[in-house]
Amino acid sequence: MAPNASKIERLKELRDKHGRTDGSVLPDPADPPKDLRQAQPRFRGLEAGHRACQGCGEALAARLVTEAAGPDVMISNATGCLEVFTTPWPQSAWRVPWIHSLFENAAAVASGMEAALKAQGKSTKVLAFGGDGGTFDIGFQALSGMLEREHNVLYVCFDNEAYMNTGIQRSGSTPHAARTTTSPPGKARMGKRHLKKDLLSIISAHHIPYGASTSVAYPADIRRKVRRAMEIQGPTFLLVHSPCPLGWGHDGALTIEIARLAVQSGLFPLVEMERGEVTDVMPIRKPVPVANYLKAQQRFRHLFAPDDPRALQEREHLQALADYNIEIYGLYSEEADPLDTDGADTVRRGGLAN
Amino acid sequence: MAAITRGAYARPGTSLAFKTGTWRVEIPYHKHWAAPCHAACPAGEDQQAWLAKIQEGKLHEAWNELVTANPMPAITGRVCPHPCEQACNRGIYDAPIAIHNIERFLGDEAIRLGWNYPLLRPTTPESPAVAVVGAGPSGLSAAYHLVRRGFRVNLFDALPEAGGLLRSAIPMTRLPREVLDSEIQRIFSLDGLRFHPRHRLGRDVSLSELQSDHAAVFMGPGAERSKAWDVDGAVPADLHQGLHLIKEWVDHGEIPTPKSVAIHGGGNTAVDLARIMKRRGVEEVYVITASGLPGPGTAPDDVLNVVPRELEEALEEGVVFFPHRTIQRLIMRGSKMIGVEMVHLKKLPGKGGRKSRVSFQGTERVLNVDMVIPSIGEAVDSAGFENLIGNANYFRPDDWGRLAEHPGVFVGGDARGDRGTVSAAIGDGCKAAMAIQAHVEQTEVIDAPRETVGYESLNVNYFEPKPRAYVAKIPVPERDDFTEIEQDMIYAQVVEEAGRCMSCGNCLACDNCWTFCPDNAVIKTRDVCSDGSHYLFDYEFCKGCGLCATECPCGFILMRPQD
Amino acid sequence: MRQALEGSLAVAKAVALCRPGVVAAYPITPQTHIVENISKLVADGDLETELVSVESEFSAASVVLGAAAAGSRAYTASSSQGIMLMAEVLFNIAGLRVPMVLTCANRAIGAPLNIWNDQSDSMAMRDSGWIQLYCADNQEAVDSLIQAYRISERTELPVMVCMDGFILTHTLEVIDIPEQDKVDRYLPPFAFDRRLDPSDPISLGALVTPEFFSEVKHSQHAAMQKALPDIVDADKEFKKLFGRDCGGLLAEHGDEEATVAILTLGSIYGTLRAGMEAHKSRKKVKLIHLRCFRPFPEEVLMAALDGVKDLIVVERALSPGLGGIVGTEIRAVLSTARKPPRVHNVAIGLGGRDVPLDMFSRLLEALKNGSIAEFSVFDADLSRLPEEDR
Repeated sequence: MAPNASKIERLKELRDKHGRTDGSVLPDPADPPKDLRQAQPRFRGLEAGHRACQGCGEALAARLVTEAAGPDVMISNATGCLEVFTTPWPQSAWRVPWIHSLFENAAAVASGMEAALKAQGKSTKVLAFGGDGGTFDIGFQALSGMLEREHNVLYVCFDNEAYMNTGIQRSGSTPHAARTTTSPPGKARMGKRHLKKDLLSIISAHHIPYGASTSVAYPADIRRKVRRAMEIQGPTFLLVHSPCPLGWGHDGALTIEIARLAVQSGLFPLVEMERGEVTDVMPIRKPVPVANYLKAQQRFRHLFAPDDPRALQEREHLQALADYNIEIYGLYSEEADPLDTDGADTVRRGGLAN
Repeated sequence: MAAITRGAYARPGTSLAFKTGTWRVEIPYHKHWAAPCHAACPAGEDQQAWLAKIQEGKLHEAWNELVTANPMPAITGRVCPHPCEQACNRGIYDAPIAIHNIERFLGDEAIRLGWNYPLLRPTTPESPAVAVVGAGPSGLSAAYHLVRRGFRVNLFDALPEAGGLLRSAIPMTRLPREVLDSEIQRIFSLDGLRFHPRHRLGRDVSLSELQSDHAAVFMGPGAERSKAWDVDGAVPADLHQGLHLIKEWVDHGEIPTPKSVAIHGGGNTAVDLARIMKRRGVEEVYVITASGLPGPGTAPDDVLNVVPRELEEALEEGVVFFPHRTIQRLIMRGSKMIGVEMVHLKKLPGKGGRKSRVSFQGTERVLNVDMVIPSIGEAVDSAGFENLIGNANYFRPDDWGRLAEHPGVFVGGDARGDRGTVSAAIGDGCKAAMAIQAHVEQTEVIDAPRETVGYESLNVNYFEPKPRAYVAKIPVPERDDFTEIEQDMIYAQVVEEAGRCMSCGNCLACDNCWTFCPDNAVIKTRDVCSDGSHYLFDYEFCKGCGLCATECPCGFILMRPQD
Repeated sequence: MRQALEGSLAVAKAVALCRPGVVAAYPITPQTHIVENISKLVADGDLETELVSVESEFSAASVVLGAAAAGSRAYTASSSQGIMLMAEVLFNIAGLRVPMVLTCANRAIGAPLNIWNDQSDSMAMRDSGWIQLYCADNQEAVDSLIQAYRISERTELPVMVCMDGFILTHTLEVIDIPEQDKVDRYLPPFAFDRRLDPSDPISLGALVTPEFFSEVKHSQHAAMQKALPDIVDADKEFKKLFGRDCGGLLAEHGDEEATVAILTLGSIYGTLRAGMEAHKSRKKVKLIHLRCFRPFPEEVLMAALDGVKDLIVVERALSPGLGGIVGTEIRAVLSTARKPPRVHNVAIGLGGRDVPLDMFSRLLEALKNGSIAEFSVFDADLSRLPEEDR
């Protein structure tokens, strides 16, 4: 068997069908082809026409992950917004083989797919997609089993920090003090009482070869981590912070801005873990006060009530959580790093700088 | 309708049948703004556009873009006070782009490699002819822009060599003569241009001859007549005008060397002269100017009209400035000058908003000097065209250089009285050429300036701080009268420095819109392009979320309500 | 080759003969021996398959779904609580129309906790959209399993092969294990048109709105009904190659002219058959084994009941508050018959309660003396209950 030659052949075949033709000349803008969309210089795993809300972070994250991973992949997708907005029959926005079964079994279905491909001697990589509800909570057992059994699957959790598909209910991923419809603030409560589950550490404790958190604010980071995970034989995991304009209460135009603030404040650290150990982090050049992140979102509005001492306390609590992240992951660096929170998204003519 | 599939599976990419564009309440669009550098450029250069070409690695194309406005970048790169850099948005972020150094580099590259001007239209023997009077910056520019537009040009100058003020009044330390000669030579080698040296208007050729032989006449005579200067009627016996002294020095290398001197004025001539005298051993050189020095407390229109680098170098060399000052009294002992009395003043708005000079009693100060040199500007020497200007010091044409009473005659450069820089003169030449074309073709000349983009329209998250390129200078003790003080940039520096340009208000081809669209509604047609034309909005699917507009680093994408 | 084998081992061998690409299972009594035996076959190199030992039955069902969707023949097995935990996935598999085979080692559902046999588990899944075949003995468990793959892959419907826990799974019988080459002839390699394939990347499991849902559900129902001839055909073809069958949709034993019939599912059929042979009666009686419970073989059943005046439906499950499950369905089916028999419905052998040989006589006796109720848990001793709980 010559896996390299056959793999290249296969990628070429798939690209011909669903994206840019390798080595071909890009279209002449003076004489554009009828379907410019067909001639995009990137693989379109997730096509236009899906029904995500305006400025949906999850749609963007899924698009970026699929682009970086495709086309020789197949996806098992948990129930959730992503599943619903991409596949209202008879339409599908996917250009990769895709299956949705249930809310809590994306990892198990992916395990089966991977086992089948192994049995068939195929190298197609299996991806599993889930939201935070399907990953942190209801699908956690299946995910844990998948990791323990060392299936060659990349599991991607699009973390928008609540059950958005059912109308913004709290999940194990909802940050402390955030308002959801099942953790409303009131006289007796200040939003969610509990903390956001430290899923990445739990995942990594399975001793898997690679697990990382990334953010939709840093597409290059997503791409790099997806490619890294794709190269690994074995279970890998990505947690992608993906703002939900509807659930978080911000304008859809600010999705990236908000996601960036989450990372720059330390509230959502971007770390890479291998075999249970932290191996790399995205350093924070200038930590942004958590309040800047909070005040941009309606879900934290009660934390800015003027005459409520609890508001300040909870704000300080969230700041302390961010400081804790910065401390334990060593996120703050004195010197500017080209791949830190300020540098990683630097652009120049022709694309990203780094 | 499609038959329902077994198990309700769906075909790939069929969502394209669902046009999410109908959801849109706001629609994104591309807006080509004027970058602040472009808006500030008196010569009309679009620095952002040619820096973009350098970013693409296309130096020749960058120069081609540059010379659509300014045919003499090697000169302006050296002598222009570069208001583009003062306006540069990057100055708010960290430090402005070293535009003038890059311009100079491009100009020198063009000379070195013998690049030719890209012309719009070839000239034929049948092309209409235009007379251009004065081969200074405005005349050269007008001649170039006319030929570029397909006119034949007869260019007249009273002197044996072209260049005007560039040749007669700018020290070699700022403008080496070989650079001047090279750029003039390139203009002169244009087909359709004929240079007539030693032709003074009124002596060797008459205005009416020119008017009858040509479709139009462009006047760029400059301002060579020193204005009368006195202080309450008093004038020192040995009065020399600043411009005159510089010309003498440039031509013959001679300059007076008193023990101390007060130069009255705030232009490049005053500063050039101060530095020449300082180098020639004058111990105390003072510049007394009604303008302010650049700084946070000084309004932009109140700053000394001097190339900032020149001011900096003058200070390095020990020239002392008295800003916001004027000379109120000359202190004489007999006919000998022993000092001047200065007083603080400012240009302040009075009734009706017009600014006038207000001096402040009680701020008088005596400065002991042996000599005072006025350098307060020059007026037009109207010999040979008295009927065009009358008794006025300057022409008063409209912005296109048109004289209301004299159709077919156009004016530009220092003769306007409201310009004062080489770049502005070059800009005049270009505008006049456009107006002449409209005049000949009997059409309207159209000026469609783009709106200027502000810093607040940029998303600077996508840029990294980076120090401005370091350009070496000859140290003060080693400076002489001939060697250029500011050194060249090297190629690598030029590429790095151009890379700092934030592409204000125009596409950076950074892919952000294409990358960040959650709906795959931005289409890219090729890898790199400087004008943004390779990103298209697919309005069939664009939901109008506005992410692309927020994340565009350049303010090139805007949202407006969907009709 | 005829061998004395435990039912579970025989089933494991049958699974191996079908060459599954993926087997996933989670242990539960009384299914364990099947999975253990498959694991041994894999460990010994006698079966090449991806054996996925999952962390729950829920994942077992999910894994085989993923495997079949990705183009591999898949197998799983479970019982009781395990079937309950799989329930959500089982409905999903059927709705997606993905072919596969599951062995249900029938066991009671708690509480109270009970590890012994009855058919409450598979009966609870009767509306899941799976084809259900019940096995009267271990030979049928083996043969039905092989047939199940052929049926499933032709109809694109999942098949649940039900065999009574312990009574079959843990019992030694002389079994004829089919030869591999014949099985290969009978069962072509797995082919699933709608499999996940990057060369033709379809999306499985789309959201279906009210606009289309009714049609999708109708087609699932129609597919089940159209599967009836496929089930018969699979049995006939099996007989051609292997010389035996399972009776197609149902098996009959006894007097063709009988006016009394006893219908049952699973291993009770064998017990009643032995009881009938021991019983000396002038009455014309026949036994019916309802092999195929889903899809419901209405026509064949009506034909089998032609001329029958009394039908006793004996089942190993009940629907509390209604009575029998199979009995109730048969009553419903017979409502359109010209001369329907009287239907008497009993649940016996719940939670592993022994069904003795004389059960046959006791049932006929009860019918004769009119003591058989419309429905009863026939072998329950009510005197053991407090008055108020009877």
